[in-house]
Amino acid sequence: MLKVENLVKVYPNGTQALKDVSFEVADGEFLAVIGLSGSGKSTLLRCINRLIEPTSGKITWNGIDVTDKNANLRMIRRQIGMVFQQFNLVKRSSVLTNVLTGRLGYVSSFQSLLGYFSPEDYKRAMSNLEQVGLSEKAHVRADSLSGGQQQRVGIARALMQEPKLILADEPVASLDPVLAHSILKYLEILNKEHGITVLCSLHFLDLVHRYATRAIALKDGKLVFEGLPHEIDDAQFKAIYGQEAERVSIT
Amino acid sequence: MFQSPNRIATILSLIIPGSGQFYLKKYWRGVVIFLTTAIITFAINWGLVDFKIGQVTIGSFQTSWLWLVLALFWIWNVRDAYMLAAGKTSGAVWGVLLIVLTLFVIAWNVTEAKPERLITRFPAAKVVMIELLNPDIITMDVNGEPTICDWACLAGHLNGTIQGDLRLSNNIGDIMGRITNKPAPNWEVQLGLAAQDGTVPTFQAGKMIETIAIGLLATLFSTLLAIPLSFLAAHNIMSRIPGGMVVYYVMRTFLNIVRAVDTVIWGLIIVVWVGLGPFAGVIALTIHSVAALGKLYSEEIEHIDFGPVEAVQASGANLVQVIRYAVIPQIIPPFLGYTLLRWDINMRASTILGFVAGGGIGFFVVETIQMGGYQQYAAALWVVAIVIILVDYISATWRQSILKDQPPVDVKIGRSISAILRKTLYIVIGVAIFLYCFNVTGINLKDMFAPAPTFLRLVRDFLSFDFSSDVVDLVTKQMFITIFQALLATAIGAIIAMPFSFLAARNLTGKSRFSIWIYYLTRFLFNVLRSIEALLYVAIFVFWVGIGPFAGTLALAITTFGLMGKLFSEAIENIESGPMEAVNSTGATRLQAIRYAIVPQIVPPFLSYLIYQWDINIRMATIIGFAGGGGIGLTLSTFFGQLSYHKAGTVVLYIVVVVALMDFASAKLREKLV
Repeated sequence: MLKVENLVKVYPNGTQALKDVSFEVADGEFLAVIGLSGSGKSTLLRCINRLIEPTSGKITWNGIDVTDKNANLRMIRRQIGMVFQQFNLVKRSSVLTNVLTGRLGYVSSFQSLLGYFSPEDYKRAMSNLEQVGLSEKAHVRADSLSGGQQQRVGIARALMQEPKLILADEPVASLDPVLAHSILKYLEILNKEHGITVLCSLHFLDLVHRYATRAIALKDGKLVFEGLPHEIDDAQFKAIYGQEAERVSIT
Repeated sequence: MFQSPNRIATILSLIIPGSGQFYLKKYWRGVVIFLTTAIITFAINWGLVDFKIGQVTIGSFQTSWLWLVLALFWIWNVRDAYMLAAGKTSGAVWGVLLIVLTLFVIAWNVTEAKPERLITRFPAAKVVMIELLNPDIITMDVNGEPTICDWACLAGHLNGTIQGDLRLSNNIGDIMGRITNKPAPNWEVQLGLAAQDGTVPTFQAGKMIETIAIGLLATLFSTLLAIPLSFLAAHNIMSRIPGGMVVYYVMRTFLNIVRAVDTVIWGLIIVVWVGLGPFAGVIALTIHSVAALGKLYSEEIEHIDFGPVEAVQASGANLVQVIRYAVIPQIIPPFLGYTLLRWDINMRASTILGFVAGGGIGFFVVETIQMGGYQQYAAALWVVAIVIILVDYISATWRQSILKDQPPVDVKIGRSISAILRKTLYIVIGVAIFLYCFNVTGINLKDMFAPAPTFLRLVRDFLSFDFSSDVVDLVTKQMFITIFQALLATAIGAIIAMPFSFLAARNLTGKSRFSIWIYYLTRFLFNVLRSIEALLYVAIFVFWVGIGPFAGTLALAITTFGLMGKLFSEAIENIESGPMEAVNSTGATRLQAIRYAIVPQIVPPFLSYLIYQWDINIRMATIIGFAGGGGIGLTLSTFFGQLSYHKAGTVVLYIVVVVALMDFASAKLREKLV
């Protein structure tokens, strides 16, 4: 279980990205995080694996205090997979190498300096690539793939960590609608069949309705909604996105 | 009419130039105006006292008419403050013009510019010019005497009016190398390839081959050394390590200081360490380019895409793993690109290292000039031009293909046998070239680790700078002359280059055969002139106008002409064609089209290149004195000759400070322009 209590993040330039955010996520949930650009979604996800250092508040995950200054960050991070809006692949490295980097949290510095990964890791990488349908592309350069394919590599990389939790930061915002569904379906399979908890920030409400089991909404760094996806009615919608907003859908 | 803020700003600027602008929150403008006024005041006074520049006598009172120009600048500054306070725009043109006028009057005088000498001494110079145009390349035996076969002789030979056997001159052997018989090495005797005490023909490398070897080795060594150092000087890496920021600042300062000292000056110092020879050249060049590459590399590390770093970090990787998997794959192409660029620069530098370090073609040039062998000198210049043009071309095209960095379409990386074979072949060739260069440059690690005892004295004396007033006066004076040399040379070279650059711009020259010939000829002229370092030209101008700063200024102006001509013409070629089309459609003449469609587009890049060239010229001007071109280089080599290392240390300190300041100023100025 993931528990976020009174989380606050103030950036050095004074921006208050998160204001006293608290919520819980049970194991096996698919939690959608919604809100406008700049509402603090990315900051929230990055505080959970401390890519961004929270200013105050407490995050506990399966009984471990993530925010503890003495926490073993490497041990925590390697159990939490992450998928990014811009895929964040090393463009010049091969697809296989990119997938293998997901395993770095388990490999010693010296071995990985020499580029050594165990045969099991290779086998795991190939089977993960197979799972996202890209085993053919293992040895090509990452930047020769299309956007949708690159995001599937990103998912395979996260799977290498054998994660219990996946943080997905706008995983489909850079993709067209058809690809968006295909990527989210992979996340859904991981959630439903492998029991991996998913925290996913999304832009489009119909994607939230279709895939999420629960949703939270942020506005100006504050938690303004917590509940089931279908509970987001017009009034809620305007509270989250502002009075001017209109519903648009993705088909 | 006068509201109070207007009045305050105007009065402030009247009392202290720039303070009004500063008060109006135009901080940069204010600081620049203040500093300019201070520098100009100092320069006018210095010029009057030391050189009697612009001296006029009014009664018994002696002063300089340049003070009048300063007064005008002062008035401009007050008006500027008033206009800004009133919320109107105020152009800097008049202010800049006044400053430029003052600077050039001073520059003209302190660099002892004597343009009349270019004419009065022309008959004498013509003799040398003719020798320069007829390099010692081909020899023919006339009545058993080896004679240089010049162009007229070659033409006659082709016509059949002159008979005789032609061969490459000994001079070319000195430059490129020759086959000589040497005692056979032991291993050949043992293998039965050569007779006991027999000789085998061996290639003995000439001075140009040595030059190439120095450039290659220095590039290799400096790349290997700069890679680890650049990580220590990268902000985004060091800020993640506790205490790393201290290392970062120390590294950055260190790199900036080392970089500010020119390769040739490092050569002077290193010669004391390992003795004269190509090895000293390799070390000197390596030291300077480690610093230059280290800076470029670290900036490249700071500009990587942060996404992959974040992703690799999120998987639990530590700093070493992040660098290995997210940073290094990204920086390989730009690093290679910078190394190739540096190779080009190093090859140029290694052609002049011989002036002080005794290796490479520079040494050959010094020797031949001392013996008055201008035809031999000319041959060397032509060889240098050809080699450098080639290097420039290879480096530029290779760099382009690397930086494009297209992924191979659906091709598996490094998996095919032919790819592996090709890689192996490249490695074998690379190692062979490396071993040959190592051999040619006579690298001797024993010398390196057992430096001459004088070297320790040099280091100690060097760092105990001599700040006695006569040394400081002399060095300050020479430093100013050097700065003004660079200023004047930049102006002369660029002004002459401007009209020529229009001839070398493909989009402006017509389609007729004649104009295409002009285009290629101008391009060729630019390329030849800029491929030879200014230091190698100095000898010509020393002969022409005499030893002194003017000869150095002219030599600098020649390379400036070449580089500026190339950059200017490229800037013209890169302009947008839309405005040209629009102006042409109104029925404008070609001259009108240039004035209204092209000039507005090329002024910013031209100015930016001018500042860039000025920066280069300052560095070059610090060493131009080694060949008789005046300025601080002369002072430095004199101090070295007298073994007054503590005084030499003062000179180098001056150079470091001035070059670093100019570097900073030119970077800031160019930022403002773009």
